[in-house]
Amino acid sequence: MQPLISVSQLVKEYGSGANRFRALNDVALDIHAGQVLVLMGPSGSGKTTLISILGGILSATSGSVRIDGREIVGMPESQRPALRRDLFGFIFQGFNLFPALTAEENVGIMCKLKRVPQPARAAAKLLESVGLADKRNAHPADLSGGQKQRVAIARALAGQPRILLADEPTAALDSVSGRNVLEILSGLARQNNRAVIIVTHDPRVLEFSDRIVTIEDGRISSDELRRHIPPTPGDIA
Amino acid sequence: MSILAWKNLLHDRVRLIVTLTGIVFALVLIAIQFGMFLGFLDTAANIVENNSADLWISAPGIPHVNGGSPIQESKRWKALQVPGVTHTANFAVFFVNWKLPNGAFETCQIAGFDLDSGMGGPWNLVAGRIEDLRGEDTVIIDDLYKTKLGVHNIGETLEINGKRARIVGFTHGIRSFTTAPYVFTSFKNAQNYIPMREHETIFILLRTARGANLPAIRTRLLATIPGIEVFTHDEILLRTRNYWVFGTGAGTTTLMGAMLGLLVGIVVVAQTIYAATIDHLKEFGTLKAMGATNGQIYQVIILQSALAAVMGYVLGISVALAIVGSTANTDLLIKLPWPVALGIFGLTLFMCMSASLLSIRKATTIDPAMVFRG
Repeated sequence: MQPLISVSQLVKEYGSGANRFRALNDVALDIHAGQVLVLMGPSGSGKTTLISILGGILSATSGSVRIDGREIVGMPESQRPALRRDLFGFIFQGFNLFPALTAEENVGIMCKLKRVPQPARAAAKLLESVGLADKRNAHPADLSGGQKQRVAIARALAGQPRILLADEPTAALDSVSGRNVLEILSGLARQNNRAVIIVTHDPRVLEFSDRIVTIEDGRISSDELRRHIPPTPGDIA
Repeated sequence: MSILAWKNLLHDRVRLIVTLTGIVFALVLIAIQFGMFLGFLDTAANIVENNSADLWISAPGIPHVNGGSPIQESKRWKALQVPGVTHTANFAVFFVNWKLPNGAFETCQIAGFDLDSGMGGPWNLVAGRIEDLRGEDTVIIDDLYKTKLGVHNIGETLEINGKRARIVGFTHGIRSFTTAPYVFTSFKNAQNYIPMREHETIFILLRTARGANLPAIRTRLLATIPGIEVFTHDEILLRTRNYWVFGTGAGTTTLMGAMLGLLVGIVVVAQTIYAATIDHLKEFGTLKAMGATNGQIYQVIILQSALAAVMGYVLGISVALAIVGSTANTDLLIKLPWPVALGIFGLTLFMCMSASLLSIRKATTIDPAMVFRG
């Protein structure tokens, strides 16, 4: 069974000439469906660069990144929005909700973007799935940090993406809210057969992880499998 | 995406008010300046536009209809002998002094016309009868100039160039481009007020047979009658309009005002829409990261501008119509016909769309990776 994400010999360089800086150096990584992978490492180690490349947001300098069997290194810029739309859900440290929209509209706009049928109904169901049915008409300013992150998760789930990329999802949350968000994310990986990749500094996340990958100076310095995930039909045959 | 455009626009009330103020200010400036320009076009040559003559004979080289000089009335009979000419009439437009009840003087323009042919007579009569001008020393003025000329009712008498004049009627809305109002009277009466000799006239107006060849008639007139210039209706209309509207700079000034309004509008709206885009840059970055195309981002920005344009137009055109309405009974004519109002809507859309181009350019450069930078 092939992994959902397969990375090999991945290099990312910024700048040119004497100012050239290698942010990722010969990174190799396979990620399977159903797995919660935690990406750790000190600031500037290359975590954000890696997650940006995996999400089709940033172009790699060289190497190979296969997502769901599709090679994305060298993929034309014009094809990347569709890749991100169809395969990924994104969760951000700062929530990145649209302040002018209600919780339901925030989720609904992503449902529309992802061409989900009956977007308003789908948005309401997604909010219900993260326990925010009663907050559907609230604006982000009226929600707590934990509630905002749950709206962001509901939004990321629009269109049922195969891969969830979460950047420091608990950084702005208290311990109860953070735990609640992590329970939802790990549940999404295990019950819905998704790959969930979490970039974090937060040690609370480790409890919910299946695998911990540590990056230092652009290289993977450790790769610890905490729980074996058997190959599932979600992986590529 | 339309919901994001709409809600983003309404979310920041202060910015919305600033944007709408910019649009309304620009739009009112454009509408009023252009309306004044149209009003100038109308008032500059209304005395010609409402004249049914096919050809005008005047002294050579006159700059406009209000700048004629006397010619021999006998030329009228020569003109009548030219094949194709069916009627001729004398017509005089001339600046005179109107003595106010307090002894001061106002300049006005006598329009002396032939009562039998009716060519050059007043229109929009609201009080009195044209036939009353057959009486000696009788005149008709426009009710918009009652105060200016110190007149209130029919029957009042005043002095024009030291000669008695009696008010026998009022028109409504016959404005003058100059500050001198028109005073309509019979040609016979006009001869008393205008310093010209007996058997002289300022214009000879010609009516021709239906389907007559006007250039051919003009050629014959010029060949037969020395010392004249012949105009078609459109020619004297154009010459008069060009003189007053463009020659005096009034039209150019109003058109420049309208252009300035457009420029101010574009700058103000561009600035506010650009600032709004910068404020929402992270949101657009989030959309891009999540799979929105540049086209979809542009759609939000353009829609936002279009919505601002529609809201600004509704407010702006209401203000402009109110201003136009408030000048209905003054000597300033501001015209805002519906095709112009519709055109201004197109212009407002253009102004807002142009303004959003800067924002679109900025949105193109959004790096979706910014969303991971906190």
